[in-house]
Amino acid sequence: MSALLALDTSTEWASVALFDGKTVLAEETWHAQRRHAEELFPTIERLLGHTRTPLASLDRVAVATGPGSFTGLRVAIAAAEGIARGAGAALVGISTLDVLAYPHASSKLRTCPLLPAGRNEFYAAFYQERNRKWTRRSPFIVGPIVDLCRQIGTHTLFVGEITDDTEANLRDLLGPLALFAAPAARMRRAGYLAELGWNELAEGKPAALGALEPIYVRQASVGATIAQPFTPPPADDQALGLPKRTA
Amino acid sequence: MRILAFETSCDETGVAIVEDGRRIRANAVATQLVHQRTGGIVPEVAAREHLRAIDPLTDQALRHAGARLGDIDAIAATVGPGLIGALLVGANYARGLALAAGLPFIAVNHLEGHVYANWLYETEDVPLEPELPAIVLVVSGAHSDLVLMEAHRRFRLLGRTIDDAAGEAFDKVARLLGLGFPGGPEIERSARAGDPSAYPLPKAWLADRYDFSFSGLKTATLRLVRSLEEKGPVPVADVAASFQRAIVEALAEKTARAAAEHGVRSVMLGGGVAANGRLRSEIERRIGMPLRVPPPHLCTDNGAMVGAAAFFALRHRGAEMPVGVRSNLPLA
Ligand SMILES: [Zn+2]
Repeated sequence: MSALLALDTSTEWASVALFDGKTVLAEETWHAQRRHAEELFPTIERLLGHTRTPLASLDRVAVATGPGSFTGLRVAIAAAEGIARGAGAALVGISTLDVLAYPHASSKLRTCPLLPAGRNEFYAAFYQERNRKWTRRSPFIVGPIVDLCRQIGTHTLFVGEITDDTEANLRDLLGPLALFAAPAARMRRAGYLAELGWNELAEGKPAALGALEPIYVRQASVGATIAQPFTPPPADDQALGLPKRTA
Repeated sequence: MRILAFETSCDETGVAIVEDGRRIRANAVATQLVHQRTGGIVPEVAAREHLRAIDPLTDQALRHAGARLGDIDAIAATVGPGLIGALLVGANYARGLALAAGLPFIAVNHLEGHVYANWLYETEDVPLEPELPAIVLVVSGAHSDLVLMEAHRRFRLLGRTIDDAAGEAFDKVARLLGLGFPGGPEIERSARAGDPSAYPLPKAWLADRYDFSFSGLKTATLRLVRSLEEKGPVPVADVAASFQRAIVEALAEKTARAAAEHGVRSVMLGGGVAANGRLRSEIERRIGMPLRVPPPHLCTDNGAMVGAAAFFALRHRGAEMPVGVRSNLPLA
């Protein structure tokens, strides 16, 4: 038996999943705020226990590499490297934005995952199907919503961590071009990270241990960079349906 | 018992293998030279460097010891005090390794690591263990702590700096005098050619307690240098010697007083500033017993000291899983 452990602590939201190549055996997604370091390992142990997955079967590890909170990203990457070395498992890094966009591949909509980058800025990228293949069509972007919207001329589905204010802002700037996924569909789940990681490893692309780097996008500033500010998650009363156009 | 130990609390990535808390089998350290450019440690940069270094160093330590993970009995890592982002890298890597290899994880207080550096040895002949109780002065760019060790696992923090760490004061004054980073060795070198009584500077003294304060001394030195600059070229060696004397006397006097008050059987040093020869001779002159100082590479942050502290923690209390890292982790 083979099992893949997927770890994501890219933002205030964290997610862990176990996958056997066909089935997501278990998944936990929660609002960790800044308690990733305290909660990550108990969660991993719980999932291993629930699924009765023996450590010996753990032969693949996938980790979300951002962009996101620098400190948060390093928690999961360091843990993933340690686990991969300890278990002799293959390791792979997947962009957090890739994970967010992936569930929407079948929508055929241009999809834009958003994650808070602090200082009222966002990490983003654009995804679309091309030649029947779901691909990232832009580099990883960091910037304010206004700048981001300048690059949008077509219907775009927004997913990720979008507050009421951000959603209102996008509607103001884009009008009916802005579409929003429902709360459960817009969140980041490690089950998808696991699937992407498994596929990547199947294509023979494991990361060299110790060579995984977070996608920093923005350079470290000399000031207070140790904890990037996080924005709150989308509220439950924001159910908007997928896909849905607004007037 | 072989412990694979990790240290990432500041700007040194350390991975070591220590046998029975004393014998070093491997002690791989990567010093982050990148901070020399900024003349101080940038926490985000430090965390990035730790993540790059930790796995290659683990490989290096295992190979140096001729060991595989199967030969290891426990995993340990520093969980505080230190820079949070830096601590998180070592602690999470180590916990991941422990989980996947099915080994116990031991959380270590960094200060205890500096204390236990005095138990380490590298050669075939086994030195005697320090006798307890002991006074340990830990001085570096990150700490100036006076610790009473009553027994294994029984520590009391008698005093600490209420502002800058001693090493930080050395760094800042070195920069002021146009000397290099880190400031400790630069000031000591320059001070050799200077007169320590050239300028009266305030001792970093707080009466009736074991705490230190170095910011007043730093400010006084700044004012002295500014006034000297008006008169012509600054006599760097004399200023360095006077500054060093003021800082060393405060550290030495409080260490000696604590040793006398608690009737200890050993006095030990730790931390990067322990390499300062003047500090050692001033303490030795006052305590009337030999002073124990680990070799320089074990005074600065390293993984072996974490492995030593972990062994004695395990022997005297048992392994424990911490709930996380803490920048201000107190002594047990
Ligand atoms: Zn230290």
